[in-house]
Amino acid sequence: MSTMTENRRRSTTEIEESTSAWRKRLTSDGAARVAALLSFFVLWLVVSAVFGRVPGPVEVVVRLVEEFARGEVFGNFASTLYRFGVGVALATVVGIAVGVMMGLSQLSRAFFESPVLVGLSIPAIIWSFLTVMWFGFGDMSPIVTTFLTAVPFVIINVAQGVRGVSRDLRDMSSTYNVPLSRRVRDLVLPAVTGYVAAGVRFAVIIGWNGVLLAEWFGGSGGVGYRARFWYDANRYGGFAAWVVLFVGFIVLLDRFVLDRAIRRAFRWRDA
Amino acid sequence: MAVLTVNHLAKTFNIGTPRASRVLDDISFEVRGQTFVSIVGPSGCGKSTLLNIISGVEEHTSGDIRLTSDDGKPARMGYVFQDPRLLPWRSVMRNMMYVQDDQSETTVARAKRYLDMVGLSKNADFYPGQLSGGMQQRVGIARAFAVEPDLLLMDEPFSHLDAITARGLRAQLQDIWAQSKKTVVFVTHDVVEAVELSDRIIVLQPGGRIYEDITIDLPRPRRQSDPTVATLQAEVLARLEQMKEMSQLAEPVA
Repeated sequence: MSTMTENRRRSTTEIEESTSAWRKRLTSDGAARVAALLSFFVLWLVVSAVFGRVPGPVEVVVRLVEEFARGEVFGNFASTLYRFGVGVALATVVGIAVGVMMGLSQLSRAFFESPVLVGLSIPAIIWSFLTVMWFGFGDMSPIVTTFLTAVPFVIINVAQGVRGVSRDLRDMSSTYNVPLSRRVRDLVLPAVTGYVAAGVRFAVIIGWNGVLLAEWFGGSGGVGYRARFWYDANRYGGFAAWVVLFVGFIVLLDRFVLDRAIRRAFRWRDA
Repeated sequence: MAVLTVNHLAKTFNIGTPRASRVLDDISFEVRGQTFVSIVGPSGCGKSTLLNIISGVEEHTSGDIRLTSDDGKPARMGYVFQDPRLLPWRSVMRNMMYVQDDQSETTVARAKRYLDMVGLSKNADFYPGQLSGGMQQRVGIARAFAVEPDLLLMDEPFSHLDAITARGLRAQLQDIWAQSKKTVVFVTHDVVEAVELSDRIIVLQPGGRIYEDITIDLPRPRRQSDPTVATLQAEVLARLEQMKEMSQLAEPVA
């Protein structure tokens, strides 16, 4: 009799454990992300079924495969990545230098504050028009657009980070006469890393917009140019295929590169 | 052996403005090597300001401070703050090494030795966030001793800790000090703590003047349970209460 009761108790515990494991899985961050993707996919199916001018997922995949078959994808993507990479790299270097100056010196802050605010308020589309007028068709226009769109975000984040370096830790370093190089390496840079990472993350996302717009309006190749090619041809399936490609790229870049880099920079906080 | 000489030191905040306030006034004393000196006094009497001026973090308004060492080299200072002030993104060992002059093997061994003395050798690779408040403060103490300072400044290092942890750390501090015999200037508002730890107690009164300089001539190690320590603690506390009453009487009536 007592064995039966024990067995029943054990099986009840097992059921409770398995239910709680499932509940945990269903309420996890991963499940929320999958749910968001599925919701978007269902919405896409519904919208494409209702509106004839919105290409559905199947048509988009077919067009994408065709673009791969034509050999258009890798070359255009490589051109865009090169322009994007150079623009973001320049924005990061210049942004960190100006941001550190703004963070350390009141005079630099007074000098750069207004130009940075103006830079933040000008949208990528305006920069793309201007750079096409200044530099014409070619690599220069998308690179400069990416740079100009991204750099204010890096500057503003880095400046905030430098200003936020703990006064207590700076005083401690002064008391112990810690050499400047060690202070920069062990105090300032780690304190600013999170802000730099956040700034670069913004810069990457906003710079990606910039490069695509510049290619759209003034490119002779690249992802933006190719999307416009299909748009002008009134072939929305081809256009949507490129949209899916560059949105997918930025999502993967953010999730698997930038997000992980930020987590790595802050692993001391989660320890 | 280092000698700290403070001569007619004064400090006024917001000087030249209507909000000007003098926090230290005509402070003079000398601390010779291997002495543990406590500075006590009520809140706002300028104890921490005095320590910050000695360390060079703050400027003084007038007077003179000199710290000389026997060997003629620039005197080295260590500082234990009220809070541990550790770099949160560096391990305990990296924090210990951050303040060292050189990064040689001898220095690493010394840092490890002091970490061992405070009972944290097993936590060398931990981040500060993985340690309790008391453990972090022990790292701060080990860090200060590990630079082998000519003068060690301590600013109410146990004030943020619970009574039991603070008592344990005070005992540990006495042991380390007995082994290293550094010159220490220790700021506290706790008279009991001051009597337990010090060779000398300098009492500051409101307005930032020295009220009394008391010599504590008791054998070490001292424990609060020792009746002679308790008697002296009561005696010093009575003198402080007397000072407080006199200060209140001296205050102008509005």
